[in-house]
Amino acid sequence: MKTSKEFDNVLDECLERVLVKGETIEQCLQSYPEQAAELEPLLQTALVAKKASAIQPRAEFKARARYQFHSALQEAASRRSRPLFGWFPQWATVVTIVLVLMLVGGGTVVAADNSMPDELLYPVKLETERVWLILTPSDIGKAQLCARLADRRVAEIIYMANKGDAQQVELIAQRLDKRLVMLAVLASAVQAEGVPEMLAPAPAEEAPPPAPPAPGKARGSRDVYALTDNRAKLRMTVAHYAANHPQALRTVLEKAPESAKPALRRAIAVSEAGYKRALEALD
Amino acid sequence: MAGGCQVQDEESLVRRAKQHDQEAFAQLYEAHFDKIYRYVTIRIGNEMEAEDMTQQVFLKALQSISSFKWRGIPFSAWLFRLAHNQVVDYFRGKKRAAMPLDESLASSDDNPQLMAEQKLDIEQLLLATKRLTEAQREVISLRFAGELSIAQVAEVMGKSQGAVKALQHSAIVALRKALSVT
Repeated sequence: MKTSKEFDNVLDECLERVLVKGETIEQCLQSYPEQAAELEPLLQTALVAKKASAIQPRAEFKARARYQFHSALQEAASRRSRPLFGWFPQWATVVTIVLVLMLVGGGTVVAADNSMPDELLYPVKLETERVWLILTPSDIGKAQLCARLADRRVAEIIYMANKGDAQQVELIAQRLDKRLVMLAVLASAVQAEGVPEMLAPAPAEEAPPPAPPAPGKARGSRDVYALTDNRAKLRMTVAHYAANHPQALRTVLEKAPESAKPALRRAIAVSEAGYKRALEALD
Repeated sequence: MAGGCQVQDEESLVRRAKQHDQEAFAQLYEAHFDKIYRYVTIRIGNEMEAEDMTQQVFLKALQSISSFKWRGIPFSAWLFRLAHNQVVDYFRGKKRAAMPLDESLASSDDNPQLMAEQKLDIEQLLLATKRLTEAQREVISLRFAGELSIAQVAEVMGKSQGAVKALQHSAIVALRKALSVT
């Protein structure tokens, strides 16, 4: 009579032979005739458990997840590349963009801020947002800005859905997805800094983008408190949008033209999944 | 029940991923995505939640790849450890019980009868695993859904290989009993 430990080893060996190497249960039992009576039902059960490997993710989910992961990879790569090249190239890029925008006219930039995707100034709005993101040096600042930009995208989706422009809704939903992926990655980075959370009041809806601090400045205890405070604000902002954006989109879905509904449903799925990921990263 | 990549290839991919090689990380993602999804699904029994959690596992992996140290234990064990922590956080935070499986869980196949049978098998399996202890369900998920070796399961669970073999034995016995009543 073998000990329990020896039987555990025999069972594991038979599992390997039957499930991995493709031997039959009978072949295995022949190797261990003394334990055959006890082994046989367990191996039959293991074959049932093996059916777990038939579970497959849905193709649509897999495609969406792959796209989002690649976006996150690119975002992580771009964040890492900045210190390697230092402040100057980014700064030079920003100055170039700002100069171009100044040539176009400051009033144009302000006007573009409220433009919608079917308007001439909309590309200026997107470019200005890109500059904001570059100018914002900290992860927490970028995350807060991503949340605000996501809010803008939702407003644009609602506007275009009401106009029945499915193609624009689809395009903006992709931009929304990109911002929410970036938000989740930045939220993970913020959370990884390991500062305990504190409660703080919600941020103003339309606060100006944070100004960049001097490059290379070391973080003191005051900065740590500021980070904690900002993280709590970020958590509240994201929770607020997570509760409101999908709901706002669902309300539009009821009244939107049929042509815009499939794209709108995708936008709802993007916002639900995106905010959920961001909140989980902040928890 | 070995990992999806050959160990040597995987070590090379992980080294490149740690050096921020996007293509290497993308290959690791493709190699492990389905298994992590299966593992999470068996653990929590809800497709939508499993989808979100699987994505979260890979975002966490991307965030913390620099902390991974190669010690002869495959990358998959580290990845499953992240997934395990996500599942623990999920149950701790939400205090939720596993829910019934969705009909889209069975692998896609052109044969509707085969799909229906698979779905039934998977539903029965999930119902049965609900009757197991948390540790037994963990070992079943890792061995049969995640297709990990005993050594890898031991690494993920922080137990000796002997302890995992004993747990595997008790889990299969318990699963057999549970299947007979579902």
